[in-house]
Amino acid sequence: MQPRRQPPPAPRSGPGNPRPTAPLLALLLLLAPVVAPAGSRSAEDPAQPEDAGVPRRLLQQAARAALHFFNFRAGSPSALRVLAEVQEGRAWINPKEGCKVDVVFSTERYKPESLLQEGEGRLGKCSARVVFKNQKPRPAINVTCTRLIEKKKRQQEDYLLYKQMKQLKNPLEIVSIPDNHGHIDPYLRPIWDLAFLGSSYVMWEMTTQVSHYYLAQLTSVRQWKTNDDTIDFDYTVLLHELSTQEIIPCHIHLVWYPGKPLKVKYHCQELQTPEEASGTEEGSAVPTELSNF
Amino acid sequence: MRWTLFIGALIGSSICDREKFFGDQVFRINVRNGDEISKLSQLVNSNNLKLDVWKSLSTFNRPVDVLVPSVSLQAVKSFLRSQGLEYAVAIEDLQALLDNEDEEMQQNEGQERRSNNFNYGAYHSLKAIYHEMDNIAADFPDLVRRVKIGHSFENRPMYVLKFSTGEGARRPAIWLNAGIHSREWISQATAIWTARKIVSDYQRDPAITSILEKMDIFLLPVANPDGYVYTQTQNRLWRKTRSLNPGSSCVGADPNRNWNASFAGKGASDNPCSEVYHGPHANSEVEVKSVVDFIQKHGNFKCFIDLHSYSQLLMYPYGYSAKKAPDAKELDKVARRAAKALASVSGTEYQVGPTCTTVYPASGSSIDWAYDNGIKFAFTFELRDTGTYGFLLPANQIIPTAEETWLGLKTIMEHVRDNLY
Repeated sequence: MQPRRQPPPAPRSGPGNPRPTAPLLALLLLLAPVVAPAGSRSAEDPAQPEDAGVPRRLLQQAARAALHFFNFRAGSPSALRVLAEVQEGRAWINPKEGCKVDVVFSTERYKPESLLQEGEGRLGKCSARVVFKNQKPRPAINVTCTRLIEKKKRQQEDYLLYKQMKQLKNPLEIVSIPDNHGHIDPYLRPIWDLAFLGSSYVMWEMTTQVSHYYLAQLTSVRQWKTNDDTIDFDYTVLLHELSTQEIIPCHIHLVWYPGKPLKVKYHCQELQTPEEASGTEEGSAVPTELSNF
Repeated sequence: MRWTLFIGALIGSSICDREKFFGDQVFRINVRNGDEISKLSQLVNSNNLKLDVWKSLSTFNRPVDVLVPSVSLQAVKSFLRSQGLEYAVAIEDLQALLDNEDEEMQQNEGQERRSNNFNYGAYHSLKAIYHEMDNIAADFPDLVRRVKIGHSFENRPMYVLKFSTGEGARRPAIWLNAGIHSREWISQATAIWTARKIVSDYQRDPAITSILEKMDIFLLPVANPDGYVYTQTQNRLWRKTRSLNPGSSCVGADPNRNWNASFAGKGASDNPCSEVYHGPHANSEVEVKSVVDFIQKHGNFKCFIDLHSYSQLLMYPYGYSAKKAPDAKELDKVARRAAKALASVSGTEYQVGPTCTTVYPASGSSIDWAYDNGIKFAFTFELRDTGTYGFLLPANQIIPTAEETWLGLKTIMEHVRDNLY
């Protein structure tokens, strides 16, 4: 239950308006290109100042954006990946236009119920070029990742998920996933995975040099239709934006079928920026125009 | 699941080498005739089920107790049902029973028995946490006192636990702050676990014993009680206080932007609707003012640690500026050692660095205020995880998180103990 919010007055200082931190970043990164040392675990590092070379933060931003995009493009709820570690990167800053980041990072399979399993670890490696346009959405992304799972196996697992989804009783009586204590009913797991996949598209589009998002909770399901050739899923999630700490409700509508590109439409309520963000996408090579939901 | 591994490891060398029995059950199987005996023997003798007969067959119509490892539960139940063998579960979780026994043994050592059902592996209401704080103080009256340091906006008490082994002039002290952002539930949960840990380990663990010999520890598990209640009743993701903002329908200020350290500077907002709204002025939030007044009146704090979630970070000042703190080198070293100790438990990796560049600029934060007011050892922990569950960390991660964090906390406290100024 989100409290009703007033439309904000024109933002001045503060993280609500990302603008103040961009000059700071630009200042730090005026030397271009700057190569960051290979990422090593902080606990073992000798005391290196945090902002030597490219700020780790920018590389992480780029890696996350790239991963959201990768997950969306793969269209595979059974093969979602999360960021493990940034390994190296470089950035070119143009204070007027934005910045370009090349980054190499490792990934892990996204498996909430078995977080700390050994061996399921840093199997995937990705390299990406990410171009952030100053405070504008939709960073341009070119990303390749080593294959974690055989394509055939991935398709099989997707199809299994699809079958599980078809068996779910309609109407779905969802209060929230995870519940307030962090628990996800195994029976409802496929829904969460699909919701995460759709959210990846949204989070890719909305990630900038300074804003980045996590999926906090699935709070309602408006529609869940399983046909012979599609799953039609209309739902609301809460995204958590880290730099402003805001919780952003997003209404997402997706259509999915194993092996087919994901189709997504969405509309998010943004508190701090004047416009509300929304978008639509078919999983094709050329992005379609943004349109309101 | 309660007070698990470490109590077992602590209180008796007799149980040091024991196997663990999490989820294992004891089945009481009724055998009524020779046919059933042979069926049961078949079950017990099957190698891969790893059953262990506790009380064996003597005559018919005497039940047989069999220890069934958790991995074999389904298989055994299926077998018993399919063979028509009558059974009941005599012990539902052997490890819990053993832990229970251990804990009871401990409590019986010269202490009044108290009916204590507090499950440290679960999230609790404010009332339950306050009650448990009271229990801890009552269980160890020579070591702990529950002290009221003020009240919240909605007039809830603010309680700290004071751990002290000595009377007299204000001994150098450590402040452990938790739950200032109400939705970060792992923070409050870790804090109350830590309280119980301190009292359990005092005079058993040389490290905490020597720390307490020289210094007092003050622990505030719920620095934002109104917010916490709100997350339990209305909105799980509420962060701020619940103070009213005149002229705005938005409620609350960010209590970690409200301290008097570059108040209203970078990384905070003047919009009451913002999650990082700094409030009308420094210390406007009574929850913050209560802590500030207490610490200033005391005058001898050497260390201030603030527990948050999530992101797995261990940070030191400053947040309000990218300038380097005069003690940054030392703080960085200590933090890295603490992160290493923390990682040694379950491999959980923390990043270390000053707030501003590690996470984001943030003015008016607690540790910046502490540091600029002479409390050199000022740290923020952002606990588990790194985004998979975020604020909604499952309860089964409470104890693992608290256990690893404890090692990090101890590392810092030991350094403080050895470097008093």
